[in-house]
Amino acid sequence: MNKETARSLFMDYLYDELKPDQRKELEQFLATHPELQKELEELGNVRSMLQHLPVHDPNEQLTMVELNQSGFQDWWNKLIESWIPKNGFVRTGFAIASLLILFVMLGAFTQMNISINENGFQLAFGELQEPAQQVYSTEQVEYLLEQVRQENAAMVAEAVQAIQENQDEKLEQTLVNFADYVEQQRQNDLQMISAGLNNMEETYYTRFRQTDQVLGDLIQTVSTRN
Amino acid sequence: MDTGQNDEMEDAQLVQDFRDGNLQAFNKLVLRWQDRIHHFAYRFFASSDDAAEITQKTFIKAYHKMDTLDDVEKFGSWLYTIANNLCLDELKRVGRKRATSYEALKAAPQTETATPADGQVLRNEGLVLLHKALLQLPTEQRVVVIMKEYEGLKFREIAEILDEPENTVKSRLYYGLSALKKTFDSWNINKEVFDYE
Repeated sequence: MNKETARSLFMDYLYDELKPDQRKELEQFLATHPELQKELEELGNVRSMLQHLPVHDPNEQLTMVELNQSGFQDWWNKLIESWIPKNGFVRTGFAIASLLILFVMLGAFTQMNISINENGFQLAFGELQEPAQQVYSTEQVEYLLEQVRQENAAMVAEAVQAIQENQDEKLEQTLVNFADYVEQQRQNDLQMISAGLNNMEETYYTRFRQTDQVLGDLIQTVSTRN
Repeated sequence: MDTGQNDEMEDAQLVQDFRDGNLQAFNKLVLRWQDRIHHFAYRFFASSDDAAEITQKTFIKAYHKMDTLDDVEKFGSWLYTIANNLCLDELKRVGRKRATSYEALKAAPQTETATPADGQVLRNEGLVLLHKALLQLPTEQRVVVIMKEYEGLKFREIAEILDEPENTVKSRLYYGLSALKKTFDSWNINKEVFDYE
């Protein structure tokens, strides 16, 4: 044993959790190491001082669960406890069986009928009845068909009328637009012709003036030479 | 643990009875453990109010979580685990600051306690300083000192409650007691102070 090992046993020694042979071995080691013996005694003194620390008891006794149940409730709880098994699996089985019995009893009481056919699942209470079917006579069918035809014809006529009106309106609008365009085009052409004539007139006038001036100059030159 | 084998078995039976629907069994468990949990919390906080609150919360939690207790024979350790966790939660909530301002520490520490004439006064001062020294320990050392010194739990049980190795628990206790010794020396407190009756 060395000092570290001895120290590691101090707590077990102080709190009396050391095996007898370990205790003896430690005591023998401490006898030859007074500084460790002193340290252990000092820790023991700390323990004895800590023991003086006072403690406060709780001011009042805690009551966690109130047991003020009525006589009937107590009796009922005991009855339930005595009937219901305590084992988990058995308890589950007991619950399922109880539900099944309750279901069968309710079914018998309400004359419940459950059936599955080509239409699907069917649940009924009381006597099962075939669903009633509504039958029409030939005259009624013809009358209904005639009504449907008339309604369809009226709807078609209305639709055709609406389409016709719509098309007329669009055609009229198109013609108006075309007339406007032609008028605009005519105005532009007239303006262009007018502008062309003006230019032509100006050009001829200028040329006449130039010709007159040239002729004048020529006459003057000839008369000067003569 | 002080309760011993018979007490453990009795606790286990009460836990089983409670699980079977006997509410009175839980009240008996409360009666058996209330004082110990209260003492633990009181030494942890040095406050009666906090101790009462922690005790109440511990049993409320135990009531709701009893189904999670795997080994019914370890009810005591399980209860201490709950109480310890609640103490740590409370400490986190209020902060370390408050831990030094409790009722047991109203008297300021007197470093010149060697000369008072009245032995009883000296002893009372010593007791106040004793609790103050305990509260000054780091939390993990304080918990171990309280559980070992005052609750009398085995190292194995403390290790189980704290979910730490036994050697860690012993090491914390060693350092805790050594730190207390240094504090007592610096405050001139020795065991003769408490000899006055």
